[in-house]
Amino acid sequence: MNSNIWILTSANAVTIATTLILAALGALFTERAGVLNLGVEGILLTSAISSFLAADSSGSIWVGLLVGSAVGAVLAGIHAVLTVVLRANQIVSGLALVIFGTGLANFLGKPAEGKTVTTIIQPLTFGPLTRIPVLGPILFEHDIITYGTIAFAIGSAWYLFRTRPGLELRATGDDPATVDAQGLSVARIRIRYTLLGGALIGLGGSWLMLAQSAAWHQAATTNGIGWIALALVVFAGWHPVRLIFGAVLFGFCLRLPFTLQAEQITFIPSAFMQMLPYAATLVALIALSRPGSKNLRGAPKSLGNPFVRDER
Amino acid sequence: MRAPFRIVFEQRSETPKYLSAFVPLVSVLAALLAGAIFLMATGYSVGETYSNMLQDGFLSSRGLTDTLGLSTVLICMGIGAAFAFQMNLYNIGGEGQGYLGMIGGAWAGLALGPHLPSVIMIPTVLLIGAAFGAVWIFVPAFVRARLGTSEIVTTLLLTYIAASLVNHFIYTPNSYFRAPDVTFPMGRTVPDSAKLTALGDTRMYPTFFIVVALALFLFWIVKRTEFGYRIQVIADSPRAAHYAGINARRTTMQVMLISGALAGLGGATLIVGEFGKLDPGITMLGYGYAGIVIAALARNNFAAIIVSGILFSGLRVGGDKLQITTSTPIHIGVMLQGAILLFALGGEAFRRYKIRTVRMQAVAQ
Amino acid sequence: MTNTSHEVVKGPHHSGDAAPIALSAHSITKRFPGVLANDSVDFDVRAGEVHTLLGENGAGKSTLAAMLCGLYQPDSGYLLRNGQQISLSSPRAGLQHGIAMVHQHFRLVDRFTVAENVVLGSRNLSFTLNRKTIDEKVAAVAESYGLPIDPGAIVGDLSVGQRQRVEIVKALYQGAEILLLDEPTAVLVPAEVEKLFENVHAMTAAGKSIVFISHKLGEVVEISDRVTVLRGGKVTGHVSGRGSTDTKELARLMVGRDINLSTQRASHPTGHEVLQIRELSLQTEGVDILSNISFNVHEGEMVGIAGVAGNGQRELADTIAGLISPTAGTISIGGAMATDRGPIAARELGLAYVPEDRLGMGLVPSMSILDNLLLTRDRHIVVDRASVRPEATRLIDQFEIKANDADHVARKLSGGNAQKVLLARELSGGRAATKLLVVCSPTRGLDVGAIETVRRLLDDARSAGQAILLISEDLDEIMSLADRILVLYRGAIVHETSGEAAQLATVGAAMAGLSTEGAA
Repeated sequence: MNSNIWILTSANAVTIATTLILAALGALFTERAGVLNLGVEGILLTSAISSFLAADSSGSIWVGLLVGSAVGAVLAGIHAVLTVVLRANQIVSGLALVIFGTGLANFLGKPAEGKTVTTIIQPLTFGPLTRIPVLGPILFEHDIITYGTIAFAIGSAWYLFRTRPGLELRATGDDPATVDAQGLSVARIRIRYTLLGGALIGLGGSWLMLAQSAAWHQAATTNGIGWIALALVVFAGWHPVRLIFGAVLFGFCLRLPFTLQAEQITFIPSAFMQMLPYAATLVALIALSRPGSKNLRGAPKSLGNPFVRDER
Repeated sequence: MRAPFRIVFEQRSETPKYLSAFVPLVSVLAALLAGAIFLMATGYSVGETYSNMLQDGFLSSRGLTDTLGLSTVLICMGIGAAFAFQMNLYNIGGEGQGYLGMIGGAWAGLALGPHLPSVIMIPTVLLIGAAFGAVWIFVPAFVRARLGTSEIVTTLLLTYIAASLVNHFIYTPNSYFRAPDVTFPMGRTVPDSAKLTALGDTRMYPTFFIVVALALFLFWIVKRTEFGYRIQVIADSPRAAHYAGINARRTTMQVMLISGALAGLGGATLIVGEFGKLDPGITMLGYGYAGIVIAALARNNFAAIIVSGILFSGLRVGGDKLQITTSTPIHIGVMLQGAILLFALGGEAFRRYKIRTVRMQAVAQ
Repeated sequence: MTNTSHEVVKGPHHSGDAAPIALSAHSITKRFPGVLANDSVDFDVRAGEVHTLLGENGAGKSTLAAMLCGLYQPDSGYLLRNGQQISLSSPRAGLQHGIAMVHQHFRLVDRFTVAENVVLGSRNLSFTLNRKTIDEKVAAVAESYGLPIDPGAIVGDLSVGQRQRVEIVKALYQGAEILLLDEPTAVLVPAEVEKLFENVHAMTAAGKSIVFISHKLGEVVEISDRVTVLRGGKVTGHVSGRGSTDTKELARLMVGRDINLSTQRASHPTGHEVLQIRELSLQTEGVDILSNISFNVHEGEMVGIAGVAGNGQRELADTIAGLISPTAGTISIGGAMATDRGPIAARELGLAYVPEDRLGMGLVPSMSILDNLLLTRDRHIVVDRASVRPEATRLIDQFEIKANDADHVARKLSGGNAQKVLLARELSGGRAATKLLVVCSPTRGLDVGAIETVRRLLDDARSAGQAILLISEDLDEIMSLADRILVLYRGAIVHETSGEAAQLATVGAAMAGLSTEGAA
């Protein structure tokens, strides 16, 4: 067996994990504020195509990433207005966003079909580190967004557990009535983090497009990564650092089918290999909800519940 | 810095009847308006797009029968979604359960069709399709009922797995479902005994009437039977259900399995109807997802789903024909579905609350 | 942040006292849809005093308090803080003026530590949190008022009394000069109440003002310097002077007529044992919830279970009702074994159960009265509502339920009417004639009129020969109704006494786990 291919798979797993981490972090911030945004998949798709179009017309990848993030925030803003201000059902609103986002992305994507972005984000160079066998290509051949994302995830953990706004954020997800009684605006906090979450998901979608796919394949561009990201948040027990490990694991599952195909390992039908990441996520979710599982204890207690001050 | 007024929500003690019809109507109009602005901004003709959609979706006789034909599967997906939604079980994997319904229906048709007459075959195909849909939701239903695992993500993940399965059955050489002697991968058509004939010169099949009757039957089940009563108690108050000795686990299983079966039935109607074979094209159509929107717009009311199903079907039919009649991307149809639901969700607030603005009390010095 | 201006503005009612008026409300009016909650209410509190807002449930005291701390805004009227007019748009604005509310339902995040809860929302907090620094700061504030707390403890692990202390420390930490205590004793055992009152005195001695909100006459007389009585949203009287107050007079001001809540405990001839509980134990995840409980309830007897919330009362009721399977022991109803046979079997043996949580457990909020009657009955495959309707109409009439008709939705009923629907259903029997009634906190949150009705209904049921198990945290209620009183502490019966011989101090001590004399 060609070991290079396995190293490449691992390196690719880190790459795809970047999108997963960004999308899951976006969902995590949103959920920590008590808002469940199931629209991740729709936001990923729409921001992906938006970033593609923006990068294509401006010639700058960075403009693409910026536009993609902004589009993510706008879509999340719709969710925030519906669920926080108008107190709509968070689940249905998120699903509506998936459907709307998918339609919108495909609509916008029509002119992009068959095109590719010519410039891609260049990996950083770490000189001799890159040449370390096995670990070099896996750890030291990524671009700034990948490293930035991992640093951001670690920073997020610090923010959540060691700062005043982090304390307020966690309190809002757990017990909004208490936050309200302290004179803090639950609505403002929830909207703020829903928007931040949308921007992060949007960045993830843009990066997926501009650094990985580099071609628009309609819904197949994201292929369910948004849903896996949502499961990842549960898997990580709502902790940003644990997210990183989970993302690499799921990233590996997502890349494995391609590797096996390249290795010409055909005793497992390719369709079954394509199922692997989804099946793995499914099994992980079920395993996590077995009685006594510790992961679910991290769940924000008022997740999914609109906050209504108890007025008569 | 403080706003000079604040928005106050007052819970309505009684929702005026007219609002229940008014809100969905306004939502549709608002979504069309938003779509119009969007079309203009992206440089497509609004008038041409909408008039074509209206003509091809509802007004022409060809369009109307096409709409009713497509609405068969959409209503079925809608009642499937609503059946679970009404108990706050968010089965959003109707899409995948529909694929399984197609697989099951196609298998039944191919395996039994040559031996059995049409009278037996049609119900068999439909029932086996429904059974396959139920099988596909079994694991999410079981872990939801036993462990409390959220059904939202599990049902959705299974849709991706189902899509791979459909592709596997068609793209694998010598697959049972694949048409033999054709190099291009496509499904093997079921025998005539497993297929219905379209009504006259249309693309409508008698299954439309079966599905409409089924929706009305479910409406009756929910309003009038002990089973419906149980569902309502659990939906509103699981603790009251526990208090009354209602077995919520069993009801959860039952409701989710029925939900999956209805979606599977939706897939099977395509076998006895328009498709006549397992077709990987189904994975691009998103009928199951549309069912979620249809159910939500009808607020899980089974009679209203017939109406919203036909409406959405018209949007799809009109939208799909845009490809031929104009340059507007057909995806405007799906986009409008999502937009209508988003507006309907916003409109729901006006139904439940009286919303007014109050001036902040001025401080007299 | 406190305004320490010493300009004294004379309040409308008192003009001779030395202490300045810290906060006053003038002609406050507040409307909610269909209710005039406050009708030109005047109220003031001086520095260093306890001023009580007395009134029954729904009199408007909590609404007034909510406006004093900025949670609600009045429709008309104004507030003066140290003589300056203020407008409170939010609780945060209230805090900036040194006004803080200690809610009846604690506003604490269970998963956070004491210190994290205390500093949450505090303005003068740095961006980064240093655990050690905030722990020290919180401990220092607590210490200075003689309220010892462990800043590192997780709030979810604390007792109710300790949590209340955290709430008070939180208010003090944020610089509160005026503390509004909303029904602070409702959740405390007598010993904890004493401790609270000590803390209140420590705070007034330090110059803080306390607005004490309560409907319990005894404690009001004990703690208050002044009392303002509210009824139906209006001020019905002011009383000054600690200890010199006439409780009868206060009661009359509060209710508007003379009432007698103490039902006469006639000597009830008690018959057969209807409920027999033998060595009942319940464990959840290795924790003892109920341990080795045995007692009987006879025909025509009312047995009261006293105890502080969370000592196993709800589990005991649920176990008897067949909702929870016990770990060990037996339950028999009417001589037949009911252990482990589920709620429907228990009902077929004559059980009726009025749970503490009326709307949400006892009643389905979105369903009509008619459908709610069906909840505990046999419904057949196709629900035949038409045949139940006449009975529903009759019960609405008989139990004096204020509702349009049998289709009236439960959620829209007042608390008292919801309780009457629940009692009507449970007392009228369903799967079998009612022999045993288990009722939990039947009058909690009801107004005096409804309390009288509910107690009369329970009394009638007892007279009719039904066995009643009354589980309540309201010790007064148990003392005045029950023929026999059992005290539940940490899942065990630690004290038993007859209704007539019961002494408040002894029962109260048993509830606090202080004494085990007379243990069953």
